[in-house]
Amino acid sequence: MALTEFWKGSDKYICDASLAQAFHMARVLGMPLLIEGEPGTGKTELPLQYAASSGLPLFVYPTGSKSNVDSFVARFDHVKYLRDSQVEILNAQREEKGLKGKLSTGDRNSEKLEDYVVKGPAAQAYSSPNSVLLIDEIDKAPREFPNDLLYALSHRKFIMPESGEVIEISEEDMPAIVITSNREQELPTAFKGRCIYHYITFPEATMMKEIVLKHYPKINDRVVEVALDAFYQLRNLGLERAPTTRELLNWLKYVQTFASEDSIEKIKKLEGLGVLIKTQADMEKIERALSGTSELKHQGSYN
Amino acid sequence: MFESLPNHFRSHRIATDVRALLLLQKSMEKGLIKTLGDIYNVLKAIIVKEQSLIGPYTKAFYDYFLEIDIQHGERLNDAIIRSNTFKKWKQKHLEENRDIDENDLVPLVNTFLDEIHLTTYDIKEVIDGKELWNKDNPYQQDESSENGGEAEERNLDKMADYSDISLERLLERMKIIQENQKTQHSGGNHWIGTGGISPYGHGGAARGGIRVGGTGGGKMARAVLNDKNYYPVDVNKMVNDNNIDAALASLKGIIEESAHDEIDIKNTIKLGIQRGGLFLPEIKKVTQEKLQVILLIDNGGYSMLSYVKVVRELFKKMKTRFAHDLETYYFHNTIYGEVYSDVNRSKPIKIRTLLNKDPNYRIFIIGDATMGTYEINQQSVNSYEALKKKFKKIAWINPEPIKYWPHTMSLQIIRKVIDMYPMTPKGIEDAVKEMNRKGMSLSSV
Repeated sequence: MALTEFWKGSDKYICDASLAQAFHMARVLGMPLLIEGEPGTGKTELPLQYAASSGLPLFVYPTGSKSNVDSFVARFDHVKYLRDSQVEILNAQREEKGLKGKLSTGDRNSEKLEDYVVKGPAAQAYSSPNSVLLIDEIDKAPREFPNDLLYALSHRKFIMPESGEVIEISEEDMPAIVITSNREQELPTAFKGRCIYHYITFPEATMMKEIVLKHYPKINDRVVEVALDAFYQLRNLGLERAPTTRELLNWLKYVQTFASEDSIEKIKKLEGLGVLIKTQADMEKIERALSGTSELKHQGSYN
Repeated sequence: MFESLPNHFRSHRIATDVRALLLLQKSMEKGLIKTLGDIYNVLKAIIVKEQSLIGPYTKAFYDYFLEIDIQHGERLNDAIIRSNTFKKWKQKHLEENRDIDENDLVPLVNTFLDEIHLTTYDIKEVIDGKELWNKDNPYQQDESSENGGEAEERNLDKMADYSDISLERLLERMKIIQENQKTQHSGGNHWIGTGGISPYGHGGAARGGIRVGGTGGGKMARAVLNDKNYYPVDVNKMVNDNNIDAALASLKGIIEESAHDEIDIKNTIKLGIQRGGLFLPEIKKVTQEKLQVILLIDNGGYSMLSYVKVVRELFKKMKTRFAHDLETYYFHNTIYGEVYSDVNRSKPIKIRTLLNKDPNYRIFIIGDATMGTYEINQQSVNSYEALKKKFKKIAWINPEPIKYWPHTMSLQIIRKVIDMYPMTPKGIEDAVKEMNRKGMSLSSV
């Protein structure tokens, strides 16, 4: 069931209270935590920061269109095995003929099957107690992957292919499992049923300010204020791809290189907008919205 | 004790089953649930599996646990003020806080929400609940007038921690309380009323003042109910496999892409022979043709309404089948210069953006192609022609029965540009076959 102490974030990472609770709940119940939410809301950061700040070993499985359970748990490298056994024959033949120089098999021994088992993040995580296992962007995986994964995760035991080695972990030592998704595809209902689900809402201005301060503790207060004001106005324009936390931070990194007054000017003029806005259509939309006013209007509410 | 919960949530169109109850029970055993706010959070994590269900879930929760029935389009504040639960709670709350202005409802509602959504995590100080437990006699008769003496024992700034007490005992106790309870109650730490600090009572735990830097669950609930993002656009369940699936399956290149490295047999043999019969495996990377699909859906217009169900069904099917290789855009009646990336048609995408995509995309246009002839102008026809020119694998799927086709002028015009098929398994299969045939001739060129 993993370590069950309540974790609220670290000095580098602000964990939204409801996310912290969901994460805690998942660890207490021994279930994987499935996180969805807009890009740039720190889905992947959670397990990374948790592992780093608690000093726990971290195993990451980045999902892609070629993901399968073998690469997640473990696979047997048949090709290498075949090669090494052939190399042995070759070496024996060379020796017979009095030829020196052998082909190497590395440190592998074809008598020992476990040398050819390539352990994936799951097998590694299950071999180290209280670790953290991140399965990133599971929505990028082929359709059958989540279901296969479900089966693998529901047993606290893996049997390594060919070598038959058993990797088992007690309920107390289970890794904390975090799965992230961008909802590019619908995950199977059965899969979601086995997870604790959390949707990360986009941080509000006050929260965002804290996040910014975590990253740039020395930043000028007024700069943050003006930047956030502009940022949330941009987000409310209904853009194709609204700017996210990541882009805001990059933008601030850019304007920070100037003196505060200059950077405020730069923000007001939306300089370096390319960091925030990623499509041509959005750029045009902003230009339209800006035409007529020399700078963004200051409004009390963003609605 | 929540036996009726799954049914209740299902009646709000949220898939819930006994497993949710079991998990809820497990959470109680693990000490995750001590307040109503905890129940809200835990149940949400267990039951809600997508953002768009948070709204309906919140509604169902308020209805089930607080008997606050939020009407469609109603603000949470209004629903709360309307409810008996709130009235009872207010009465009690005002008795305890005589300095509060009873007509100033907004802060009252806020306090109420704060109490409901107070979670264990918010509570800084947890007192040993055992002491409270022992003092609290479940056999106490319901004598509302006598609760003056009890007030001193109740430590309202702190939270009773019942986690040492077994679930069975707690449930048993709830039963006794229920039997003794004559009227609906508020306050008091053992009534299943609202605003008490009994762990499973309505609006459990303590009062305001304790919530410093809490999660603001109430604020969240309010935000959720006002935001259309937290409501489903389509509550229809996933349809079962049927013949549409079979028709779609005939799309070429649908084989799952899970191949990775493979032994290159040809090369292995060739090089092995060169080595004098020593076969070392040669490896090659295998990549497969990707199947990319663009779906253009007419989701506006009165005439399309009658086909909504069948269109949704097809859409769901496509979505599961093509997963991340499916892009969906929407239009109203006909396509002019742009389509929209969202259902509400607020985010326009230029047709020329689409035209910049890989010509191997397969395009399905779904619409009845029925509109006033004045609507289908040259710009619209140009758009269709441009699409047709760029994407050879394009088909129009029309839900309108084929026998009506000859009578619609606009349909006839569009049909001349883009091949049109009826939205039946047969029609879709034909469309797909034709696409595959074009795909063949295209790749052979």
